[in-house]
Amino acid sequence: MASKEDILKKYRANVREKFDMPDLSDIAAITYADPLLQFMNMVKSVGGNAIEVEKGRDINELIKELYPDAQEIASNLPEITIATRNPDEVGRARDLNGTDVGVIRGCFGVAENGCVWIPQQMKEKAVCFISENLIILLDKTQIVNNMHEAYRRLSTHDAKSGIDQFDEYGYGTFISGPSKTADIAQVLVMGAQAARSATVLLL
Amino acid sequence: MKVGLFIPCYVDAVYPEVGVATYKLLKHLGIDVTYPEKQTCCGQPMANAGFEKQAIPLAEKFEEKFKDFDYVVAPSVSCTAFVKINYPRLIDHECVTAKKCMDVVEFLHDVVKVDRRLGTFPHKVSLHNSCHGVRELGLSSPSEQHVAPFNKIKDLLQLVDGIDVVEPKRHDECCGFGGMFSIEETAVSAQMGRDKVERHMQTGAEYITGPDCSCLMHMAGVAHKQGLDIKFKHVVEILAAGL
Amino acid sequence: MSTQHSKAAKQFLKNQTYAHWHDATFWAVRTKRDNMAYGLDEWEQLREKASAIKRHTITHLDEYLDQFATNAEKNGVEVHWAKDADEFNEIVYGILKNHNVKKMVKSKSMLTEECEMNPYLEARGIEVVETDLGERIIQLKGQKPSHIVMPAIHLNHDDVGELFEEKGISKEKGNHDPTYLTYRARLSLRNEFLTADAGMTGANFGIAETGDIVVCTNEGNADMSTSCPKLHIAAIGLEKVIPNYECLAVFQRMLCRAGTGQPTTTYTSHFRKARPTAHHMHIILVDNGRSEWIANPEHWESLKCIRCGSCMNTCPVYRRSGGYSYSYFIPGPIGINLGMLRDRQAHSGNVSACTLCLSCQTVCPVKVNLGDQIYLWRQQLDDFGTANPEKKMMCRGMSMLYGSPGLYNFGTGLAHWANLIPSPIMNCGLNPWAEGHDMMKFPKKPFHELIKELKD
Repeated sequence: MASKEDILKKYRANVREKFDMPDLSDIAAITYADPLLQFMNMVKSVGGNAIEVEKGRDINELIKELYPDAQEIASNLPEITIATRNPDEVGRARDLNGTDVGVIRGCFGVAENGCVWIPQQMKEKAVCFISENLIILLDKTQIVNNMHEAYRRLSTHDAKSGIDQFDEYGYGTFISGPSKTADIAQVLVMGAQAARSATVLLL
Repeated sequence: MKVGLFIPCYVDAVYPEVGVATYKLLKHLGIDVTYPEKQTCCGQPMANAGFEKQAIPLAEKFEEKFKDFDYVVAPSVSCTAFVKINYPRLIDHECVTAKKCMDVVEFLHDVVKVDRRLGTFPHKVSLHNSCHGVRELGLSSPSEQHVAPFNKIKDLLQLVDGIDVVEPKRHDECCGFGGMFSIEETAVSAQMGRDKVERHMQTGAEYITGPDCSCLMHMAGVAHKQGLDIKFKHVVEILAAGL
Repeated sequence: MSTQHSKAAKQFLKNQTYAHWHDATFWAVRTKRDNMAYGLDEWEQLREKASAIKRHTITHLDEYLDQFATNAEKNGVEVHWAKDADEFNEIVYGILKNHNVKKMVKSKSMLTEECEMNPYLEARGIEVVETDLGERIIQLKGQKPSHIVMPAIHLNHDDVGELFEEKGISKEKGNHDPTYLTYRARLSLRNEFLTADAGMTGANFGIAETGDIVVCTNEGNADMSTSCPKLHIAAIGLEKVIPNYECLAVFQRMLCRAGTGQPTTTYTSHFRKARPTAHHMHIILVDNGRSEWIANPEHWESLKCIRCGSCMNTCPVYRRSGGYSYSYFIPGPIGINLGMLRDRQAHSGNVSACTLCLSCQTVCPVKVNLGDQIYLWRQQLDDFGTANPEKKMMCRGMSMLYGSPGLYNFGTGLAHWANLIPSPIMNCGLNPWAEGHDMMKFPKKPFHELIKELKD
């Protein structure tokens, strides 16, 4: 494309002094004695819920308890038997509108900010955003301290971390709590354009 | 150790008592201090207004006048910062005075390392951390940064008998003088001045003190216009009080 | 000696209640940033690394841009290059036309504001719906953003309530509660997301190593904009491309902490390719002056900016004058600098809207030397032909006075006569100092005379 070569050529010619990449291996990033505890506290502080689920607890029962009035539950996870919709099978993304609870799986959590890494693992990622309430299932042993560790994990392309990767669908996101905005007079409101509540179920 | 005393133009013309206090204090501490005559200005007012080249002849004169001293000390953080940071840029040869130039607070704290009782000033004072002092000369830890807190001005003031030193909320927010800014952006400058004076007064202090007369001049101007009962003294006047 | 900024600021300050609220609100955001900074022992180290990564990246940007585009194309993404705003708008319109797009939803992008994309598309019959709540509010009001992160901050909840009633978004007249209004906006925008033919996002970062576009939002509107419509276009300024995930970690950790005082945005989304049920994803890389700015020896570091907004939050002048006082669409310290790079003639007036307190460059997460640069821009105004003539004359006068010790001594000797000038004359309106200050008293003897007595 004519513009690409012109732009790169011009830029290259205009750079004066060049600088080296700094060494990033000595960043003394924050770590926690109890990353799981920190993670749960951060999720709460950003307006989400974090619940440690006892072993053997029926997830579907738990979800029904948390959202007794929910009519439409969307999930492609095989263990979510109460799902009434499946983001793998809907005709169009917009058909997921009106979902009361979307249930998705996260890969790992980040203690410093309550983020959960969610690679797209369903045909329509809309389920993560269009649902009124979002439930994220997370293995509680999969918590990293900070974003350096998180991105290091995403950078490693080995079989073990294959599950983190998002090459298949080409989309992944860190979600920390429910969507929110303070755009009207700086008053913080939970529930902007995406989920109005976010609950991490730690399994 | 020979110290040359640099008295900036507005200290010379409007606040000579600050120059006197500086001279007396240095002499009291046994320092060999000389005041070279025929000083005028460091050039900062023109430079901040966009005409820094006009500071070049002044920088040359400064270099000539002060080059043989071990230290050049001034009771003004803004002028000191201007000399240190800009003279080496403006002069086309080596500028030795820029390296030797220090604000009096810096000098007393870091070179003389004063640790004995100084003057007497049994009053509550609110400390004004002038921007040039905080963010250019490192007189105190900037509130923007995550660094171990320190305040050289406060350390020196604590050596004064009877004094009670407090700091206002937003303790290193700008007073709004800014040189030409005060007569160009009159509304914002006055608002900043009024806001700052109000925060100082909320501490209950009788005096507002700081290391730069331009900040004090600006705040005094807005305070008096509002008829507010608050007094102003440069730090060095307090350090030298009663000596 | 006034500028557009000083006049607008004077107006702004007339409403003291609002002006105090504006100042307090942004100081509160600055305080939240401080708490974030104090909570991380590595904060200053991160700033240094972030600055160094950016200096490296933008001085090797041609390599990283090539790598980014190559990887994006490997992912099946169409990559376009726009040399300027006009070309950008043409490319966007071309893509939308090819896909028969009638309505496009978009998440926040200051780049599209820079290119004035919305009016361009609207003039050609394409409806553009802003989905960031603040951007949507000002779009409906026909206004420009007054802050790069909080664009509608100049409006209060009554302004928004009345707007929503007028536009039929709100159903309960008089209910101006922000929670209610946000909910009504949600319903309105939900409908837009579902019926739009295309979604456009900006990009906080582009990752050279993988070809990812990374978008950070609290609202989830970038994700909704790309979840339902069949087309995704991402607009990205050249300087937003960074090398890899290791670098991204540094910036992601700082962006929200610096800008809004939160540890993270709710969503940090990576877009590598289109959804399986959608058309191709398009990325448009935009130059629009950046390849020239890198050549500017005093101002190239402004290209490090990650658009967090922390400089304006801390700026005591911005807080007391508001975004609309500045002539450039980006206000505050970074706006002053970018405005001068964009058009020095048009935006020279902003350069004096600064006390050189340097708070901006002390908060900046990537250490852009914002205040130092403003000082340097001032030195060039005379060459640009935009220096204020009164200032120039005053400086010439001072130069003469200070250049001659004899003249200076004579002048300072006479200064105390000014004390006798009656107040009505001092305050007659020709003396700008007297607008907000009482005059200082000139002593009878300046220091250089008193010292002679001291020595004796």
